[in-house]
Amino acid sequence: MRTRLMFGLFLCGVLGLLLTLSACGDKDSEEAPRQTMQDVIRIGFPIPLTGDIPDVGESTRNAAEMIRKQVNDAGGLEVGGAIYQLQFIYDDNESKAESAVSATTKLITVDEVLAIIGPQASKQAVPAGGVADNYKTPMISPWSTNPNTTLNRPYVFRGCFLDPFQGPVAANFVTEEFGATKAAVLYDIASDYPKGLAEYFRKAFEDIHGPGSVVAFETFTTRDVDFSAQLTNILRANPDVLFVPQYYNEVPLIVRQANSLGWNKPFMGSDSWGSGDLMGLCGDACQGHFFSTHYAAAGATGATKDFIDGYQAAYGKTPDDVAALTWDSVNIMLQAIRDTGGLSGNLSRDRDAVKNALGAIKDFDGITGKMTFTPDGDPIKCAVVVQIDQEGQFSFFKSVCP
Amino acid sequence: MHHSESTAIHPRGTLDFIRRFFANIPLLGWLAGALAAVILEQAVGTSLAHALGLPRIPVLFGFLIFLKQPALIPGALGYVLVSNILPVCIVAKIGAPLFNLLSRSLFRMPIVVTAVVHLAILYAIFHIWTDVSAYRLIMLKLMLISILLTLSLNVINGYMGEFSCSHPGFMALGAYAASLFTVGLFVNDRLFGEALLVSDFAVIFFPLGLIFAGLVSALGALIIAIPSFKTRGDYLAIISLAFTFIVKSFLENLEFLGGPRGLSGQPDWSSLPMVFIIVVLGVWIINNFVTSTMGKALNAVRDDEIAAEAMTVNTRKTKIIAFMFSAFWAGVAGGLFAHVIRFVNPSTFGIQKLAEVLAMVYFGGLNSVYGSIVGAVSISLLGEALRPLEILKWIIIPLLLILVMIFRPRGLISFKEFNIEKLLKPRG
Repeated sequence: MRTRLMFGLFLCGVLGLLLTLSACGDKDSEEAPRQTMQDVIRIGFPIPLTGDIPDVGESTRNAAEMIRKQVNDAGGLEVGGAIYQLQFIYDDNESKAESAVSATTKLITVDEVLAIIGPQASKQAVPAGGVADNYKTPMISPWSTNPNTTLNRPYVFRGCFLDPFQGPVAANFVTEEFGATKAAVLYDIASDYPKGLAEYFRKAFEDIHGPGSVVAFETFTTRDVDFSAQLTNILRANPDVLFVPQYYNEVPLIVRQANSLGWNKPFMGSDSWGSGDLMGLCGDACQGHFFSTHYAAAGATGATKDFIDGYQAAYGKTPDDVAALTWDSVNIMLQAIRDTGGLSGNLSRDRDAVKNALGAIKDFDGITGKMTFTPDGDPIKCAVVVQIDQEGQFSFFKSVCP
Repeated sequence: MHHSESTAIHPRGTLDFIRRFFANIPLLGWLAGALAAVILEQAVGTSLAHALGLPRIPVLFGFLIFLKQPALIPGALGYVLVSNILPVCIVAKIGAPLFNLLSRSLFRMPIVVTAVVHLAILYAIFHIWTDVSAYRLIMLKLMLISILLTLSLNVINGYMGEFSCSHPGFMALGAYAASLFTVGLFVNDRLFGEALLVSDFAVIFFPLGLIFAGLVSALGALIIAIPSFKTRGDYLAIISLAFTFIVKSFLENLEFLGGPRGLSGQPDWSSLPMVFIIVVLGVWIINNFVTSTMGKALNAVRDDEIAAEAMTVNTRKTKIIAFMFSAFWAGVAGGLFAHVIRFVNPSTFGIQKLAEVLAMVYFGGLNSVYGSIVGAVSISLLGEALRPLEILKWIIIPLLLILVMIFRPRGLISFKEFNIEKLLKPRG
């Protein structure tokens, strides 16, 4: 009896806590009181705000909020003579495929958004892309590199270049800059992005230097922290360069361990180096190495500099590639909405018009380069190779276009 | 303190009154009430929502509005009251004599007929409820699948009393096997080439694919059961956890199944009637299994293996059969899951999935079909409803779990038999 009573009390307490917390939440609804359907454009963001990669969700939200504030402070978005306020709805996909599906379904059918930006990681973007295409809603995934995200899905686009492009960029770069004839690769076999990129790199490198020129192709599994066995094999094979298409949390461990085993030749990385706090974790050990990415933050000019300065002022850190790609994806979506020449208010007709406008955009001038979508919804854009300089900044080294 | 005690005791009186007030309503009455409510919502829901100042029908009993738009809370509460709670209660209470009459005449027929009539009404409720919003549909499908998954894990962790961590592995095997079956045979795909068969007979072929999925999982269970059932307790838990990792690594290294990239392009065959029928079938068969002689033998093995052996129970055979049986249904659930999401990749079936399904089992209650249903429904409903809270969700749900573990260490409804006759009988 007593325990039941206590249990009931506790439940009430938890519920009360929940309601109090929620009541002091949401800034959006306070800033923008309810508006009629006509003068608001809603865009949905099914992004990973919790789970494995909350940093990615945070960067996405930061970049998107910057755009929303900018546009709304300037009065709104003008489409075909009418002015619209932007309303961005962020929904947590928990880094899970099933939550990405339900979040995207909710955004499309309940919140009735005009378009979707996100999800970021492929394991959420592939199933969410299926949902968006099913409901004929235009979607741009800024960061997903899995070909299946956009394959045979006319409504789904992406904001980044694909691995079949980045792999050869890295292979050509190490050949030209380091004169490498033998390369080694170390990658995580359990994660789709590093694995795909490692394979494309090997193919491109062996096309240049002949079969067997990738002298070591070593693997590990997500969350491994000791790479000495693989690195010993790599050192024994004596390559000219080590290609590591890994994330910012693994790269410092690999670089330090390789150095302590006596590795003194260059590392080549991929765009995953640029996200998160690479330099905070790596310190001086990563200086001097190169990686291919979407844009270079150090020494940027023009619109890119404005973006970086604004982001730094608002959030106190340098925007990573996720933030930059989100920025471009949102802007290209807004461009497509403007290009429709006016919204009818009929959601399915407007979504169709936005999709067609997205496909028709030529040479969109983004901060990560000029973008034009192929009929598959993948962008044709240039990659940038950056070097980590003495100050730990990622400084522009070279631009490589398809 | 004094204040809260007195207010807490007072509602108990009200609660008792409410319980007595609704005591004479049979399950049929509640179902009829719910049916009336969803029909009402479908007919006038939108205009009612507009009248209450809401932009659209609150899809999840107003939860999303409570958390995101405090200004609309009164409207949402009003909506939930007018369109959900009141119709159910009024129809059920006013119609009680009629429904009891119907219930009595139904009850004279074989129990299967009675059950099927109730299930048909339940399906109608689901169908109309999800008709209003596609979001409800996806949520309901995932919820039904998690019921099947939770119940199948309960067979091992509850009825057999072992702590098994291999369920994500079984689910993965099932998901991949069913996907292989459907994508390989019925879809033009990059990995497997042209479709071999035309897919006009989804109703026939999909259950076949699910049975295939279940059999593959059961085979996996046999492979792990042979070495691991020489151990008990913690050791079995560790071996079964290892199995989950083995399956994940295995799938990551299988190039023809897409490796870590996963497999997509499953046909959209997990429709609501399909999921509903399979899950109902699963619950019915599992319930029969655990109440059969085999189920009792399982309980005996859990309580004292040596005593059970002495009482002529073949403990090894019993355990292996139960394990394979449980894996079979986990595989079926995995197959359904893969065709709802229409994408599978190995990393979905990791520790997080394990934590989720274990939470559902222990929250709902061990050794109980009711418990599994309650656990799966409440955790998936809460998980979805609290998702807008982002990080706070991961504090609130574990906190609830801790509270349940403190006050009801075996879960909310544990060791309670699922008695269909008692559930469906007329009340007055």
